[in-house]
Amino acid sequence: MITLADAVNTAIIGKGLMIGGGFIGPGIGIGIIGGNYMAAVGRNPEASKFLGQALVFIAIIELFGLLAFASIFIVK
Amino acid sequence: MINVLKNFASGPIVYITPEKIFTFHGIVITNSVFYGWVSGMILIVTFVLIARRVTVRPKGGIIQFVEVGITYMSNLIESSFEDPERGAKYVPYFISLFFFLLFNNWLGLLPGVGEAFQSHGNPLLRSFTGDLNATLAVGVVTMGLVYIASIKEVGLKEYLKHFFVGNPLNPMYLFLGLIEMLTDTTRVISLSLRLFLNVTIGEIVIAVFAYLGGFFAPLTAAPFTLLELFVSALQAYIFVLLSVMYLAITVNHAAADHDEDLTDEPVTETMRLQSEKA
Repeated sequence: MITLADAVNTAIIGKGLMIGGGFIGPGIGIGIIGGNYMAAVGRNPEASKFLGQALVFIAIIELFGLLAFASIFIVK
Repeated sequence: MINVLKNFASGPIVYITPEKIFTFHGIVITNSVFYGWVSGMILIVTFVLIARRVTVRPKGGIIQFVEVGITYMSNLIESSFEDPERGAKYVPYFISLFFFLLFNNWLGLLPGVGEAFQSHGNPLLRSFTGDLNATLAVGVVTMGLVYIASIKEVGLKEYLKHFFVGNPLNPMYLFLGLIEMLTDTTRVISLSLRLFLNVTIGEIVIAVFAYLGGFFAPLTAAPFTLLELFVSALQAYIFVLLSVMYLAITVNHAAADHDEDLTDEPVTETMRLQSEKA
């Protein structure tokens, strides 16, 4: 009897799902941070000096996307 | 040559782990450690030469760039502390850490790093920060300094106290404080993983796009190499900024007076003032 795992290369599907799913969250998060930063600068131009802090939070979020990318090497 | 062609046909060549190049008295020296030494040497020689030529009115472009970088970073580190004089003594370590990571990240992007030079079938050079062992070592040393320095600054009792928002005898505050301590230990891992993954995945992305380009590999890989230049500088900056923040939060928290809102006693003065006003 042929199971689904034999007929389809499930590792490829798994890797695709991991990358796709793992990048959704950081994408949304970085978008929210960037949008809020631009809104703050538009409201108060002096807030542009906080770009460094915004980048720090982007880097913190980015880690989770990178973890998803790194995990695809575990799937065989 | 045939080997390279075979690799070229099968897909992009990706290295995630460092490879052994030689042993020294039984200690395995990997290619990433070797390249770390090389870039450390380059860093020391460059900065000693630059430091000798620094004058009030410096000549030459590179000195000004280095001066701008050092001034920016030292302002950043000192301004993280509420008392800038307290932060001044940590400036040398964090600035050398920043330039060490920056040099390693940027030298890892040079074309010679990777496949070009081989030793026993393994690449001779590999980016130092593209190796989890290396970034973990940097993270452990940095967080060790942060812990020791914060205990030295505020004392062991005050340091343990800053984990708790209230009286530790209250079981809720005790539990929250223990969780806070557990969260503190993950900082080493998150710092080192962030640096390692950013560098390694940048290399993988460049390798994939160079492979997809085929004959036009320089054209397809160039935008991602430029992106990596920016990302590596940003990651070196963020590594330093986060570790300074971890130190500054403890020191500032202990230096500041305890927040009145978090005590268990009712605040009688304001209540009396309000009733007097009414």
